[in-house]
Amino acid sequence: MPDMRFAPPNPIRIADRSAGLNAVSVRGHNERLVLSLLLRHGGMSRMALGEKSGLSAQTVSVIVRSMEKEGLIASGEAQKGRVGPPTIPVSLNADGVSAVGISVGFRKTDVVLIDFLGHVTASAELAHETLGYHHVHPQIFATVSGLIRALPKRKQDRIAGIGLALPDGFEDSPELAQLQGQLETLGLEVFVQNDVTSAAAGESMFGAARPLENYLFFYVGAHVHSRLILNHHILRSGVNASYDVGLLELERRLGSNAATSAEFWKTALGPATDAPVQAWIEDCGALIQDKAAQANQFVQVDTVVVSSYLPRPLIEGLCDTLGALKGVVGEVAQAPKAVGAASLAFSSRFLI
Amino acid sequence: MNIYPGLARPCPSWQKKGERVKDPAMRTVLCFGDSNTYGQIPGRGPLDRFGWDQRWPGVMQAELGPGWHIIEEGLSGRTTVRDDPIEGEHKNGRRYLKPCLQSHAPVDLVILMLGTNDLKRRFSQPASEVAMGIGCLVHDTKELMPGRGGHVPEIMIVAPPPMLEDLREWASIFDGAPEKSHRLGLEFEVMADSLEVHFFDAATVCACDPADGFHLGASAHAALGQALAREVQAIGWPAD
Repeated sequence: MPDMRFAPPNPIRIADRSAGLNAVSVRGHNERLVLSLLLRHGGMSRMALGEKSGLSAQTVSVIVRSMEKEGLIASGEAQKGRVGPPTIPVSLNADGVSAVGISVGFRKTDVVLIDFLGHVTASAELAHETLGYHHVHPQIFATVSGLIRALPKRKQDRIAGIGLALPDGFEDSPELAQLQGQLETLGLEVFVQNDVTSAAAGESMFGAARPLENYLFFYVGAHVHSRLILNHHILRSGVNASYDVGLLELERRLGSNAATSAEFWKTALGPATDAPVQAWIEDCGALIQDKAAQANQFVQVDTVVVSSYLPRPLIEGLCDTLGALKGVVGEVAQAPKAVGAASLAFSSRFLI
Repeated sequence: MNIYPGLARPCPSWQKKGERVKDPAMRTVLCFGDSNTYGQIPGRGPLDRFGWDQRWPGVMQAELGPGWHIIEEGLSGRTTVRDDPIEGEHKNGRRYLKPCLQSHAPVDLVILMLGTNDLKRRFSQPASEVAMGIGCLVHDTKELMPGRGGHVPEIMIVAPPPMLEDLREWASIFDGAPEKSHRLGLEFEVMADSLEVHFFDAATVCACDPADGFHLGASAHAALGQALAREVQAIGWPAD
C-alpha cells in the first residue's frame, strides 16, 4: 500500500490563471456552495462562511484564495468588531463575470446583460410588429452580439453564457432553430428555460426571495402566471398556470392598449384611471389569494412574491390586498424574465 | 543602548508579575522558519539580527494586538526536510518540528516559511521537491495534532520572496537557486491547495534585499508582518 501522504500534489482548485473564464468549466461542490452562500447573504467573513458551509477554515481559505485569483470573489477592507479581532468580509465580485438574458414577451423581446449580482449593465428592447408570444424577433442575434461587442475585451472573455426565456408552448420554428444556431456561434453556452420559471429563478437568486425557502411566485405581465417554490426549488404544474387577469385585462377595462408599456405608467396614474385600476388590483389580489388557498391544502406557504415591471407602488397596493398572506414586492424590476434567463448561466456554472 | 536587540521584546501586558491567569482566548501562533524568521540583517554576520519589534513576527504581534502570543522559531540555514552535510543535521526542519510543536502546544496556527536553503547547490533540488518537503512538514503537523484539544491547528505555508540574481559571496553556494526560487510560489501554492492549508506568497508584498540578495530588509519585514497579520485575521477566529 503506497503512502498517499507523499504522492504528488493534486491541486484541483488551481486554475490556469492565464486563460479566461472558460478554463474553469466545472467547479466542485464546495466552490459552488461558497459562491451560493455569498450570493444569498452578501458579504461575509471567512469564518461565517465556514460556519454556514460546514467547511474547515483551511478549506474555505483555499477556495476563497483560488476564486479571488479567478476574479469571482473580492476581499473587502478589515472591519473592527466590538469584540474579538477585526473581520475581513469577502463577497462576490460583481464585475468578475456577466451573462446575457433574452426573454420573448407578448409585446416585446428583452435583451439584457447582467453582472454577477444580477444588476442590469446593458439592455435593449425589441418591439414585436404583431402582438403575441410566439415571435422570434429577427434582430435578437444582432442585438446580443452588439451588447457583447460594446464590452471591453477583458469582460467579453468573462461571459458565463446566454439564457433564453420562452413562454409556454413556444413552437419550434425554423427561426428559433436559426437563432439558437447563431447564438452558439458566439462560443457561449445557451440555456433555454420557461419564461416565468426564469423570472422566479432571478427573484430567488438576486431579489426579494433570496432568504425565502418556500413561497408562491406570481408574475404579473400581459397575463398572470404562478409558480410554487419549495426548499428553493421552482415547481410548476403541468396544467395551465396562466390567468387572464393580467395587464391585457386591465387594458381592456381602461379602453387603452398601452397598459403593458412602462411609458404608459409614468403618466397614467391620475383620477381618470384610478377606479378601474383599483378594481383590477382587487381582482388580481383575489386570484392570488384563491390560488394560495389551493396550494395551502397541500403545503403551508404564507409568503407571496409578486414580480412585475409595473411601478412599485401599484405592486405594493396589490400586496396590501392579500389579507393573511405576506406579500413581497419583487426586486428585479427591469425585465425580470430576461434577468432570470441570464441567471441560468450563473446557476448552471457556479451555484448549487 | 541595547546591545541585545533580540531581548528587546517587551513583557506582554497579560503577563504582569504575580498574575498567573492566562486569558483563555489568547491565540498562539508558531512561526517556523529560517534566517528570514530569525531576522538576520542582509549582508551582515550570522548574529546580526533585527530587533524583536522589527522582525516580521514582532510586526505581526504589534498588528494583531494583545490577544495573540507570537512565538518565533527561526533558525539560519534551516531546510524543510534535508540534513545539511556541511552545516549539520540540526538544520533539518523535519527533525526539530515535532519537539518544537510539542514544546509550544497547544498552538492555534503554525506558519511555515522555509524553502530558500533547500535551493543550495549541495542539495540539487528543483522547486517541486522543496514543495514536497514543505508538504512533509504539513503532514507531520497534522499527525502530531498540537492544536487545542489535541486537534490539528491551522497551518499556513508562506512562500519566501524570490532571490535576487546577485547573491554576492553566496553565489556559488546558491548556484542555480535564483531561477528556481521564482517557482517556489506556485509550487508551494499547489501543495497548500492539495493539502488544504492556508497559503501566502510573500512576493506579493516584499522582496529580498540587494545587500545579499536573499535576506529580508527592515521594510520587507514590516510589510510581511503587516500582510501576514491581515491573513491571520482573515482566517476568522471565534471569540471563545
